[in-house]
Amino acid sequence: MKKQTDRLLVIWFVLTIFVLALLFLFSPSNKFSELENRYLQAEPKLTWDNLISKQFAEEAETYVTDHFPLRGQWVWVKSLSEQLRLQQENNGIYNGKEGYLFEKFTKPDPALIAQYTAAVKAFAAANPDSDMKFLLAPTSIGLYPDKLPWKAPYDPQDKMNEAVGNQLEGLANLTYMNGFNVLMPHAPEDIYYRTDHHWTTLGAYYAYEAYAKQMGWKPHPMTDYTVKIVSDSFLGSYHTRGQFSLAKPDLLQVYIPKKPVATSMYVADTDTRTDRLYDESYLAKKDKYSYFLGGVHALMTLTSDIPAGEENLDKLLVIKDSYAHSFLPFLTQHVKEIHVIDMRYYNGSISQYMKDNGISDTLLLFNTATFAENNEILKLSK
Amino acid sequence: MVFSSLLFLFVFLPAVFLLYWLSPRRGKNLILFLASLVFYAWGEPVYIVIMLISTVTDYGFGLLLSKPEWGPKRRKAIVVASVIVNLALLSYFKYADFAVHNVNALLGTDIPLTELALPIGISFYTFQSMSYIIDVYRGTAKAQRNWIDFGTFVALFPQLVAGPIVQYNTLAEQLKERRVTMEMFAEGVKRFIIGLAKKVLLANNIGLLWHSIADADAGTLPVLTAWLGIMAFAFQIYFDFSGYSDMAIGLGLMFGFRFNENFNKPYAAQSITDFWRRWHISLGSWFRDYVYIPLGGNRKGLGKQLRNILIVWVLTGIWHGAAWNFMLWGLYFGVILIFEKWAGLRLLARAPRWMRHLYASLFILIGWVLFAFDELPKVGDYLKAMFGLNGQPAWNDGTLYFLYTNAVLLALLVLASIAWKKSAEGEGGYSAVRSLAGSAWLIVLFLLSVSYLVDATFNPFLYFRF
Repeated sequence: MKKQTDRLLVIWFVLTIFVLALLFLFSPSNKFSELENRYLQAEPKLTWDNLISKQFAEEAETYVTDHFPLRGQWVWVKSLSEQLRLQQENNGIYNGKEGYLFEKFTKPDPALIAQYTAAVKAFAAANPDSDMKFLLAPTSIGLYPDKLPWKAPYDPQDKMNEAVGNQLEGLANLTYMNGFNVLMPHAPEDIYYRTDHHWTTLGAYYAYEAYAKQMGWKPHPMTDYTVKIVSDSFLGSYHTRGQFSLAKPDLLQVYIPKKPVATSMYVADTDTRTDRLYDESYLAKKDKYSYFLGGVHALMTLTSDIPAGEENLDKLLVIKDSYAHSFLPFLTQHVKEIHVIDMRYYNGSISQYMKDNGISDTLLLFNTATFAENNEILKLSK
Repeated sequence: MVFSSLLFLFVFLPAVFLLYWLSPRRGKNLILFLASLVFYAWGEPVYIVIMLISTVTDYGFGLLLSKPEWGPKRRKAIVVASVIVNLALLSYFKYADFAVHNVNALLGTDIPLTELALPIGISFYTFQSMSYIIDVYRGTAKAQRNWIDFGTFVALFPQLVAGPIVQYNTLAEQLKERRVTMEMFAEGVKRFIIGLAKKVLLANNIGLLWHSIADADAGTLPVLTAWLGIMAFAFQIYFDFSGYSDMAIGLGLMFGFRFNENFNKPYAAQSITDFWRRWHISLGSWFRDYVYIPLGGNRKGLGKQLRNILIVWVLTGIWHGAAWNFMLWGLYFGVILIFEKWAGLRLLARAPRWMRHLYASLFILIGWVLFAFDELPKVGDYLKAMFGLNGQPAWNDGTLYFLYTNAVLLALLVLASIAWKKSAEGEGGYSAVRSLAGSAWLIVLFLLSVSYLVDATFNPFLYFRF
């Protein structure tokens, strides 16, 4: 009997490696993975230089892994097995309670944070006539440590937000708004996505409300909007990285003003103009958050047709990360011309840009994780 | 290339099988030799030259040694020359920077570093080459006249980059004449899958725990977390390395070779002497046969024996890496082994089994601390954490989190460390159900391993450093 099972095992093993090899060789290869929201490794090119520099070998390894037959199913099996063995994290993502996924937030290096706040201070000092607000929004792990897996270690984000606030104190033309003060009162509501690293449109609304008050404007009450669910199958970036099977999708909502204002959006990166703030094509893709403003751009301008006399401000510069994407549409009802710069991709001098365009009001809007982990903020001092 | 990659499993291996099976008997070694060169060149396109230099010179030295008209003096000169060539290669690529660094620090000189990357497997193939020349010199093996067979011996891809270190005389016959039976191939498949699962499912995953603990500041680690961390490292290195040896042995069987065992449940050891009979056996035998015994072993009085033990263990230490901590690690075991020889083993014999086991585990784990950090101050900090000298509590929330999120894995690791059955032991007398269940279990392990490889964001291979 052992002989027969031995033979079966051998046949199975040889068949498995040959069949998977053939499937891999002859299956059509995708360029883009919807599941992971990234471009897959292209077929490596066999040249002498590539061979010697080991680039060919490395790319070939990635190529096989990226294009392996039934890739999604294999990943699903791995994730299920990890959950069965009680592991609560995968690729730096915690599988929290009530369907919340969280990105680990590691204690930022105080010396780096000091450099970043120094850059902000220098920027404020270099533009003394400009009125600046700085809103630092926590990410979901900052607001919901109680929803982390049992006993999971975390570093409190509010400490960092406080430290940044302390370091920015006493500047004549910059007001620091701690996102915790803005969002904590609304924590029981759905202000963060469970599967993505952004705040929800509701979270963005509360931030807008706070910012408007800070600016001395009258924010529109919630009743001024029609809330529409544009997708009920949003599995965001945390899901992409953590790959937890059985995750519940989020709702993607849009707040449509009952008294709309026509806004045109100009994207400098691609030199394109559109009159829509929302790009519906993304709703069919994995990266659904890019529905807001069509995703990340280095530089864009939102010009709104606000009836004369009803505007609160002519020009505003927003220096931001992607948290601003669901937030900015609210501002289009108050500001005629909003210039939007993403520090991670914009390389010019911002002070110069403000002079060139005659802008004095500025909003810096980041989430705590972006601010702690991207040194591009140092470009402010250019 | 490493075995635990999809490229190896589903591109390289099927291709080699196909060529090997289609080739006539006489061409099989050539296929293996060429496949091994591709396998090596994959990770080291430039350094393959060094391996070929070592191979060609030792092939030549072997032929010279087989000249009957050459007297003992010339024969000795050839052995010395071979050892010098191999050790020179090894020293230049592995130890030059370490030496330069220390000379600079000591004398305040400014000799530039070579900054060369370590050629993969150099510590393994130079040792194999040397074993060949020494075996031929001693007359325990005949010189290999066929360059393809010799090349196959040195470069044989299953054991090329991480052992087991195969001594020439164990493989000489098999290079000439070998047969793969269905039983042997099945044994190979079983062994390979077990090795793959050890590496991919056990070692890699417990490695994540070790990294999250090792990356933290040791000054903040509670006592239990520190112990949990070093246990995780112990499991990681054992399952990584023995998994690799299992895969090597399994692949060898599939091509008709029988390599020696490299591990025998080392964590079941009851003393450090016992541990070193069970851990990396092929390296231990190499040092015994080619260093310890030629130096006189234990036959020349106590003083010489002590000296020999210390020499072997310092060498074993730095074989593992060119850094002080590895030397210290070797010396540490040398001293313990001397103690055990002198009195320890007699004392231990009186202790109950669990106490012997505890004693061995304790010293093995402390040894791993020396091994794990290549900066000595870090070793000190970590040891302080383990013994509660850093002012931290016995445990904290993090300890509990690490424990329960790894509980299942830790249970499996303990079970696999003491109870993992070698499939070689699968003699007859198995019932049909058990035999089928065993195969089904292996299939599950293989598929699960593949799923972890497809999701491979974390697949480093530890033994490339040696």
